[in-house]
Amino acid sequence: MNLKQMISAQARRMAARSPWIYRINAGSCNGCDVECATTALIPRYDVERLGCQYCGSPRHADIVLVTGPLTARVKESVLRVYAEVPDPKVTVAVGVCPISGGIFRDGYAVLAPLSKYIPVDVNVPGCAPRPQAIIEGIAQAIEIWRGRL
Amino acid sequence: MIESLYTPLALLIFPGGLFALALGLVLKGLDRRLAARLQRRVGPPLAQPVYDLVKLAQKRTMVPDIACQPVFLGAPLVGVVSMALAVALVPIPGVYTPDVVLGDLLVLLYLLTVPAVVLMIAGSASGSPFGAIGFSREMAMMLAYEGPLVLVVASVALRTGLGQGGLVSFSLSEIIAYQQAHGAFLFDPVMWPALLAFLAFYPANLGIIPFDIPEAETEVLEGPLLEYSGPALGLFKIMSALKAVVVLGLGVALFFPLAPDGMAGLLIQIVKLVVLMLLGVTLLRVSLGRMRIDQAFRFFLKWPLALSVLSLAIVTIA
Repeated sequence: MNLKQMISAQARRMAARSPWIYRINAGSCNGCDVECATTALIPRYDVERLGCQYCGSPRHADIVLVTGPLTARVKESVLRVYAEVPDPKVTVAVGVCPISGGIFRDGYAVLAPLSKYIPVDVNVPGCAPRPQAIIEGIAQAIEIWRGRL
Repeated sequence: MIESLYTPLALLIFPGGLFALALGLVLKGLDRRLAARLQRRVGPPLAQPVYDLVKLAQKRTMVPDIACQPVFLGAPLVGVVSMALAVALVPIPGVYTPDVVLGDLLVLLYLLTVPAVVLMIAGSASGSPFGAIGFSREMAMMLAYEGPLVLVVASVALRTGLGQGGLVSFSLSEIIAYQQAHGAFLFDPVMWPALLAFLAFYPANLGIIPFDIPEAETEVLEGPLLEYSGPALGLFKIMSALKAVVVLGLGVALFFPLAPDGMAGLLIQIVKLVVLMLLGVTLLRVSLGRMRIDQAFRFFLKWPLALSVLSLAIVTIA
């Protein structure tokens, strides 16, 4: 292994310790958002230990958490915001809704599954998932992200 | 040969450039770590700001369609260069005295306004409505805190100048020499109003929580920085790390520059910066909520401005 490869490997290792998180609400009932925002990412569970930081702008993000069954109304906005996240990025679908539509699955305005429109890397099922499950999902996303750098 | 190398070295490696960047990143890391501890959690590793920078360097920079590309990408460069110059102007008592060729206190004051101007330009060049809100808020904050800063610096300069039998002295080395001879301004009751005004100024200039209104994440989504990604955002992070070193270093030079020569002086300077950062920035940011722009504006025009005018008056009389 020459010097250049060693430096780039080291840089990848360091970069993987700084995943910034952005949330997209794709028509969620707000249950998963409450779990993400006020339970999983609060001081009690402290994802900042993993280097995670919540960011307000999709342009700063590395890991995208998507909640909700993707309603027809928000589809265009979700796709547009998702496209604004710079590569390399990883998507985590939080809750059962992005997987199958959950309790909304037969609704006329529901476009689930999300994976028809956006490449989903990690699924965190649950209605709503426990904070530990969300953190586990983020940890898996970090592993995937490390491979993409 | 050595003489001609002194200034470039000062700019690139020792007090400026690499050393200041490392110091700034350590200050940021300590700030985040102590904030975590005060909230009873473990917090990120000390090197987290370095990890963030390495990460940002590997991401893609995206430029919005409606942005003015040369200005959008040029703004962070201007910001970093201005702060790299400013760091070389801040003396480290007993260790480093800036070359007068580079400039002195007044140049430093002008350079200190550049980051705010750069953020305004960046926000408006990005074409985002949040950037525009950030622009107007940044400008209001700047109008609010620059006045007190100039008056604080003027009263320190006047105190030094009058003490030496002249009128005013806008030379940082004279200000430091005067305090080393007559005692630090920190223990001089005449200077306490100016000190208080400075203590209110520097959190606002560093843009931390009670005064981070232009970049408020929860309302204007980081305002001017909203559209930045990848290396360009990293340059802004570097700018803010360097700015912490400049502003805190200026505070040390103006109010408490007593230090022995050599290595011990350098260590003491670093300890002073860390104490200023942790007491004036971290404690403030974990214990207060964000002000509204009108509240912050009124606060600055009421207390720090009044204190700095008062300090100028009593320095003139004393």
